Amino acid sequence: MAKKAKRQNIIYHIATFILGIIMIYPLLWMISSSFKENADIFTTMGTLIPPKFTVENYIEGWKGFGNVSFATFFKNSFIVAGIGTIGTVISSAIVAYGFARIPFKGKDLWFTAMMITLMLPFQVQIIPQYIMFNTLNWINTFYPLIVPKFFGSAFFIFLIIQFIRGLPLELDESAEIDGAGRIGIFWWIILPLIKPALITASLFSFYWTWDDFLGPLLYLNQATLYTVSLALKNFADPTTITNWGAVFAMSVLSLMPVLLIFIFFQKYLTEGIATTGMKG
Amino acid sequence: MNKRERYNNVMGYLFISPWLIGFFIFTLFPIIASFILAFTRYDVLSPPRWIGIDNWFRLLEDTRYHNSLKATFYYVFTAVPLRLIFALLVAMLLKPSTRLAGLYRGIYYLPSLIGGSVAVAVVWRQVFGSEGLINFILGMMGIKGLNWLGNPSTAIWTLIILAVWQFGSPMLIFLAGLKQIPDSLYEAASIDGAKGWDQFIKITLPMLSPVILFNLIMQIINGFMVFTQAYIITSGGPLDTTLFYSLYLYQKAFQSFEMGYASAMAWVLLMIIAFFTALAFKSSRFWVYYESEEGK
Amino acid sequence: MHKWVSGILVLLMCLTVFSTILPAQEKISLRVAWWGSQDRHNRTLKAIELFEKKYPNIKIYPEYTAWNDYWTKLNTQAAGKNLPDVIQHDYAYLSEWATRGLVLPLDEYISKGIIDLSSVAENQISPGKIGGKVYGINLGTNSLGMLYDPELFKKAGIPFPKVGWTWNDFREIATRLKNKLGIYGAEAITKADAQVFKVWLMSHGYWLYSEDGKSIGYKDDKLFVDWFNLLLDLQSKGAIPSIETDIARGTLGVEDMFIVTQKSAMGLLWSNQIVAVSKAAKERPLRFALMPRAPIPNAKPANYLKASQFFSVTSQSKHPKEAAMFIDFFTNSLEANKVLLAERGVPISSKIQKSLLPFLGSSQREMFNFVSLAEKNSLPIPPPDPPGATDVVNNVWNPIVEQILYGRITPDKAAVEFRDKVTKILQQR
Repeated sequence: MAKKAKRQNIIYHIATFILGIIMIYPLLWMISSSFKENADIFTTMGTLIPPKFTVENYIEGWKGFGNVSFATFFKNSFIVAGIGTIGTVISSAIVAYGFARIPFKGKDLWFTAMMITLMLPFQVQIIPQYIMFNTLNWINTFYPLIVPKFFGSAFFIFLIIQFIRGLPLELDESAEIDGAGRIGIFWWIILPLIKPALITASLFSFYWTWDDFLGPLLYLNQATLYTVSLALKNFADPTTITNWGAVFAMSVLSLMPVLLIFIFFQKYLTEGIATTGMKG
Repeated sequence: MNKRERYNNVMGYLFISPWLIGFFIFTLFPIIASFILAFTRYDVLSPPRWIGIDNWFRLLEDTRYHNSLKATFYYVFTAVPLRLIFALLVAMLLKPSTRLAGLYRGIYYLPSLIGGSVAVAVVWRQVFGSEGLINFILGMMGIKGLNWLGNPSTAIWTLIILAVWQFGSPMLIFLAGLKQIPDSLYEAASIDGAKGWDQFIKITLPMLSPVILFNLIMQIINGFMVFTQAYIITSGGPLDTTLFYSLYLYQKAFQSFEMGYASAMAWVLLMIIAFFTALAFKSSRFWVYYESEEGK
Repeated sequence: MHKWVSGILVLLMCLTVFSTILPAQEKISLRVAWWGSQDRHNRTLKAIELFEKKYPNIKIYPEYTAWNDYWTKLNTQAAGKNLPDVIQHDYAYLSEWATRGLVLPLDEYISKGIIDLSSVAENQISPGKIGGKVYGINLGTNSLGMLYDPELFKKAGIPFPKVGWTWNDFREIATRLKNKLGIYGAEAITKADAQVFKVWLMSHGYWLYSEDGKSIGYKDDKLFVDWFNLLLDLQSKGAIPSIETDIARGTLGVEDMFIVTQKSAMGLLWSNQIVAVSKAAKERPLRFALMPRAPIPNAKPANYLKASQFFSVTSQSKHPKEAAMFIDFFTNSLEANKVLLAERGVPISSKIQKSLLPFLGSSQREMFNFVSLAEKNSLPIPPPDPPGATDVVNNVWNPIVEQILYGRITPDKAAVEFRDKVTKILQQR
């Protein structure tokens, strides 16, 4: 009996270990390739230890294109992703409260309309959107990437709605009896309770904006405005010489900010603010 | 209309006004434009020409289009449930706030951060290549590997596995949802003698159901619109087995210069997604439990 | 009060003086777009700096991306009527753009000498001609060739391919290489566009499209069937990578080709790609052979000179003259070409070609030699692909090739299906 339990335990650990390796193997591979010499990357695909260790890829990659280095691209990405995230999360939370808690005329219609906007493939919206932003004279600025974010994103609105609907209604009611209005309830009662949802939304929003390259590709023309995701794509071209080492080196670097932000914020996810004092 | 109703109407529109304004300024025009374009021949480079419902009829006889439908449905009905189950499972495992939990969460979220970059394309080919990691592991166990990406019956599974592997976002949402379930409920249940599985069925699932509904709907929507992975890894091959709907749509729009046809495709996809989303919403009455509707 | 008025007057006078000076100093700005990777971006940006130094009144705004993204962006810009002034163009799309009036004919600037083509041979200009007018200036001459690894040939005791070799010779050599060395004889023969098939037809005296672009250019489907029987034969012998292997590899770039890793002794490439391949192969010597000819008596050559890419001026440009000056600079400035170093292919000006020779590395010299060999053994450039050609390649050719090589359809059946579908597409346009 004890033997069997022990064997199960070993099997469990081996399984977890293999799963863990599979989860991060691609990242390890990327990091290892970023320290390999260019000519070795494709000839030693299977090995994680560089035959000849070099940091040249980081130096060459960081230089970017012409006189524009990755310092500029990182700065741009931080501006776009940072401001965009603040805008998305705040506006989405406000709109979500309206949909989740207030019974008003036409609510179902607008909610359906919002869900429909999520279902139309972006590929057919590219050209009308471009024409629209071109008419506004916003091409070659950050506006097309940032401004729409301040009007809420359907995905995050729906996400936060579902979280608010999971909160007991008595909270609102007792606050209302105390004389609080809708705005007061939203600000004092709901907002603190949906902190895990807001943090989740912020993480996603930041990462998705950071990772998005289609928007920057279409709307930014000058290299001084390029974001990291777009710059990364500019390294690789199937028909000409590609500095793969630099691609991997800069990919690793571009991962760092998102990873750090994740590690920093995930501890707020675990605190479980929402659990205290509810139903009490 | 009484005073309270009027107050609610005003406040309701006030709260949703950011989205409403954005909808009319930024979202509505592209949507309408794409709908009109669906009835035109539009090669992008010269102005669109009205051709009525021709595009819609052509869909019926386009065999590559039918291949793309097949690949997409196959993907949605395998990747979506697998991804959700996997995400929920890992979220349950990572819920306890131990010291290592943060590290684990990081490790399990990492794959999703790599996203759809060029790097992922290279790595995935390495993992599933004929001399890649998978075949190496299989070889150690004495099994002869396959050419996973080159074989028409396994290629789509490499993308399904990729989707499952990048389960981070639904997992995080589940995690946040789990964190919102009051501990007092579990405590009360333990006193009544309910243990692990019972607790999961009686407390976790119902309390988590609004978030499950969210994840289900978003995964359905994103599943039908899957694009990047196929675009960067398989380009639709072999034999169109990974030619996902959005990928074919993109090829039509930007490589074959048939934006009108692509727009018609887009609206058909919208209707397909809307159907399945509506189904999920309708069914939610029977299985989603809203804390807030208890008092009604 | 008096002081006030005089003060304002002086100020106004100053302003008028300045405003008459200012326009003279105002810079003309040009937007220039190209695709490529880091190496090309850096070279091109440096050449642009040289241009701006020479013409201080012109400011260049570069817009550069990778190949796939380039066309998504450019098509969107075309639809939004916000195109750059100068764009890098490809043979596959130039005619679609020219027939829609999106790029300007450059003949006016050529005859005025703004674009100086006096040291450029006619066969280097003709690739950019559509309907008798020049819509794009060739940025580098290219030809399709069979790159081979001399070391592996010696190891297998097989003589190098000679001028005039045929596809039958190719079949024999590739099979022998496979049997002797246990590696692939050649790769990239089944390339995912109709390029190699076109060259096969060409050597038979035909072309894929008829002259009016309304139908298929060959009458006898035997040409189609023979070609695929050759490929199927090579595939079954393991002399070329199987379709499964090729699909699984994808198209990352020249860096992961089998010829780089010595898993293949030959590989089909465009001449300018030798530089990238050699670099990836740690400058191991690699040589180019001409394309094999048709296995028939009196076969025609199977090479032609193609433009690797063009520069075109868009019809939305407000400064077409300055745009033409920019293209001229790329074509004729030795300084610029020293920086660009034939990265886009062999420069079209014979003067530049000659003066560039001392600066070339060994792989670039091989490219120059090969292109001049191809020039002596080539057919005139075929007409540009008709509108609808991209549809043909993407939606008919590529799927059918896969089906044949996966054994889902016989070449005989495929030949008929191919003809039907292509004819339908071409006649719709």
